[in-house]
Amino acid sequence: MNESFKTFFGNSWVELAARWILGVTFIYASHNKILAPAVFAKIIYGYDLFPAAFINLIAIIVPFMELVTGLALIFGFYPRSAALIVNGMLLVFIIALTINLIRGHEFDCGCFSINSSGQATFAGPLLFRDFILLALGLHVFFYWNQRKLCILAG
Amino acid sequence: MKTAKQAGILFGVAVIIAFAVNYFSPGGIALVGQWDVIQGVITAKEKNDIVITDLEIGDVTLARKLYDSGKFVFVDARSRDDYVEGHIKGAVSLPVGEFDEKIDVFLEEYSPEKAIITYCSGRTCEDSHRLAQLLLEFGYEKINVFIDGYPGWVTRGYPIE
Repeated sequence: MNESFKTFFGNSWVELAARWILGVTFIYASHNKILAPAVFAKIIYGYDLFPAAFINLIAIIVPFMELVTGLALIFGFYPRSAALIVNGMLLVFIIALTINLIRGHEFDCGCFSINSSGQATFAGPLLFRDFILLALGLHVFFYWNQRKLCILAG
Repeated sequence: MKTAKQAGILFGVAVIIAFAVNYFSPGGIALVGQWDVIQGVITAKEKNDIVITDLEIGDVTLARKLYDSGKFVFVDARSRDDYVEGHIKGAVSLPVGEFDEKIDVFLEEYSPEKAIITYCSGRTCEDSHRLAQLLLEFGYEKINVFIDGYPGWVTRGYPIE
């Protein structure tokens, strides 16, 4: 069991797949937010979790953190560090979703599409998806062998 | 340690690009938005923001006075469904989403000299402002936005239909 675990997660193709899936997902997620930061800011307001003074800063910075880390993962530029940031963001998303799930607060997640502004989303499936992404992120972070197709493995 | 340092570099690059793009992009937003409903309709304060505070009527009692004067047309910016479900008594429906199709009929009915008050569903909703901007473009000059909208009106027990 332990051996097959090591063979699978130590395989550089598996690491590459995880890295690319995560990278593409994050670039895709950043796209609409970059085009319409004002709409994204309103979605952040809708989460009802962040101090008013920081809402705009979050709306300005987070989409580019998604874009930059997504590109870094795909091109293998400091992939381990990119995975660290991605995991950090996923953790924040998970905490934010969980809090609103627990208190039954209806909100628009704004995860990918921001055109459906005002539509409440079910937090359950979103949480599930974020945990899958976090698993991929942790794999990329803890991967110990030589990585494939990296510009700068770091 | 090395990983943290490199993460710092990635973060720094992201922050620099983020602020540069936000500064030059026409859709860029202010560093701090207006997120206090007590002060008015919430907004990220985008460049060319549609939320114009000067047009706002933030006092329900004042809105009622203007309503009672009979000199103002109340225009509902919400969807047709919301309007049918309930609206300020005597208000006209002009959903922002159907503006292009409905504006001709509206123009025939109400001349640009008419004083107009738009509203939607309260201070987290900007459709009333959006509608006000569209009407300004069509030559209407006397426009105000009743920011507490339909919910604010209902709470006071004012006439609805």
